[in-house]
Amino acid sequence: MDILAVQFLNSIFYASILFLIAAGLSLIYGVMRIVNLAHGAFYALGAYVTAWTIGHAVASVHFSILFLLLPVGAVAVAAVGALIEPLLLRPLYGRPEEYLLLVTFGLLLILEDAMHFLFGGMPLTAGAIMDSLGSFPVLGLRYPVYNVLVIAIGAVAAALLWAFVYRTRFGVMLRATSQDRRMASALGLDVRRVYVQAFALGCFIAGLGGAIVVPSQAAVLGMGIDALILAFVVVVIGGLGSLEGALIGALLVSFVRTAGIQFFPEIELAVLYLIAAAVLLVRPTGMFGKA
Amino acid sequence: MRDQKDKSPVSRRDFLSTVGVAAGAGIAAASGTAAYFAGPRPASAAPKVKGNIKDTPYKTGHITFLTGPANLLGEPGRKGHLLAAEEINAEGGLLGKRKIETIVADESAGTDANVKELRRMKLSEKIDLFTGVISSGNTPALGPVAEELGVLTLFNDGCTDFLFDKAVPNPKYVFRVTNIQSADGITSAIGAARAWPHAKKVASIQPDYSYGRNVHEHFMLAYKAMVPGAESVAEAWPKLFSTDFTPHITKLLSAGPDLLICGLWGGDYVAFYKQALRYGLFDKMKVATTLAFGGQPHAIGKDHPEGVLAGVHANYFFLHPGNKRWPINDSFVQRYYKRWNEYPSFESDGAYTALYLLKSAIERANHLVGGWPDDEAIISQLEGLGIDSPAGYVYIRPDNHQGYKDSAIGMTKNVPDYQFPVWDPKSVITISIRDITAPPNWPKPGQGHEESTAAANWLKTTWINNKA
Repeated sequence: MDILAVQFLNSIFYASILFLIAAGLSLIYGVMRIVNLAHGAFYALGAYVTAWTIGHAVASVHFSILFLLLPVGAVAVAAVGALIEPLLLRPLYGRPEEYLLLVTFGLLLILEDAMHFLFGGMPLTAGAIMDSLGSFPVLGLRYPVYNVLVIAIGAVAAALLWAFVYRTRFGVMLRATSQDRRMASALGLDVRRVYVQAFALGCFIAGLGGAIVVPSQAAVLGMGIDALILAFVVVVIGGLGSLEGALIGALLVSFVRTAGIQFFPEIELAVLYLIAAAVLLVRPTGMFGKA
Repeated sequence: MRDQKDKSPVSRRDFLSTVGVAAGAGIAAASGTAAYFAGPRPASAAPKVKGNIKDTPYKTGHITFLTGPANLLGEPGRKGHLLAAEEINAEGGLLGKRKIETIVADESAGTDANVKELRRMKLSEKIDLFTGVISSGNTPALGPVAEELGVLTLFNDGCTDFLFDKAVPNPKYVFRVTNIQSADGITSAIGAARAWPHAKKVASIQPDYSYGRNVHEHFMLAYKAMVPGAESVAEAWPKLFSTDFTPHITKLLSAGPDLLICGLWGGDYVAFYKQALRYGLFDKMKVATTLAFGGQPHAIGKDHPEGVLAGVHANYFFLHPGNKRWPINDSFVQRYYKRWNEYPSFESDGAYTALYLLKSAIERANHLVGGWPDDEAIISQLEGLGIDSPAGYVYIRPDNHQGYKDSAIGMTKNVPDYQFPVWDPKSVITISIRDITAPPNWPKPGQGHEESTAAANWLKTTWINNKA
């Protein structure tokens, strides 16, 4: 029983992180029709920037300030995204999609190397934040308080994102652009600006995922690639371009993965891919995707 | 390959090893130094070079992890290689003439890309030597290609038993410097059985690929032979290069084991121990590892718990042999630190020693045949060669081209002198490699048994029977 309770929390924790990555991926695809292979690197960059900042601040500031420094990684990644979209992606919008696939894949490799160059090969940690909160007992086991905070941030981010897309003026512009770019443009929307903002927002969410996960793990080289693969499973199941899909997909993938690890470790990964394959067969656009 | 060799009435090995004895004695007499060791030596100690040597560069190709979580192992390997090359070049190069040039490529590109890169290095860069390689997933693919291309190869890791048991059973060009993989699990088992002889319930967390399988199997075989009644109560198999281990940790906790054997390495181990710490795993069970101290020493923080059996892949830790008991290591650590501003890992020692093994073999071969020796002559001298390395005496067994040196393991401890945990000197044990590996010519898988490795068969037929 205690095991199931902790595994339940583990699953929601991981789902929060997966949702943040997959939501950004979906948002960017929904608005701009770009399958952003560099997205995992944005997640990793968020983790590195936050870990680096906290690592340098930890000796000199009170730990409550450290919590305020958590989002630094997300902001930095959003800024990087706001530069990359006009400089690197915009010139290729007239070309077939494969060009953008290649460019974002190249960007993934470049960002990986840039992080190696900037932050070195050593893992960076921000564990001080996590340790300041301690842990609480769950029926005989221990669970870190910080992980509950991550779950909360994930939930709040999901709610805010939904409200942002469906309840604000900017959300209307986003959805209009995603439905018909030419028409939106003809009606006087500055599509270029919407693109920059959507891309930066997608980057921000991914960076936020990295920023909040890093105190519980460590920023290590290649962490973005591990995350990207599961994020793709999430969006394939949920439907590329759909926020609800990202949420349901993240929960499904995370719970199935945890159940796999606990009960059937031999086929844990295979089950995830089988679910993705089954969804593709029944609904090729994913559970919430639109053709 | 083997057939061709056997056609001659006197095999190359027999012939040259006979000559080798005389040659070794000759060099010792000429130079006044009896033993070869890995490190720079005074000019007066250099053997006289026979014949004319052209001063063309000696090109080496080095594939290692330059990116990704395995960079924690790849980086020190590259640095060990470069340090040895710089030292040898400072003496004028190999045989005083041929400067070592190195081309580096990233192992993270994947097995297929590594194979293509090896071909490219040989065919278009015309490398004389291929070296490096960390992953056990890659050496079994690269080994056969190196044999096919006929490129002299000194792997410094990728130490799966499978390479010389199955993938390249009769190696000619391919050698490997660091210890064989089955020694990892057995070394940790001996360390654990000695430290916690009553730990019967054993859990295991391993990366889900050949290395993890190998550690799990050999650890359990050896541990069960030493600790009667030991049983496996839980297994966790995270994907290699994972970052979230919390479900695995919860599963391990749920089984209530006395002891955990952990084969995670590189960035995976760092992420694992940080999460395990917060879940209280280290308070609930003893932990033995095979690679906790496998990366750069400062990759592990002071938050790492003490009293964990920290493996170094059965190879080398920079403080051992320490306390001036092994001057070769003391001076190696000093030079390495001076060059790179960090301490070496077992990969540094492996890559460094690989080039000095090559250098010794070339000097011996030059003494025999004069001029620049061809690969055949160098290989004949590498087979059966033993030199003193920072880790201790390393010996290349002629039957399988595998390097052997005594393995060591110790407990983690925080001391004021270092910014990272090190081995508690009182806890370190050294194990004779001959006691934990299958002897020469032990039947390989498929030769009368179907175990995964020769070592597993050897363990089953000798250890357990001996005990009964």
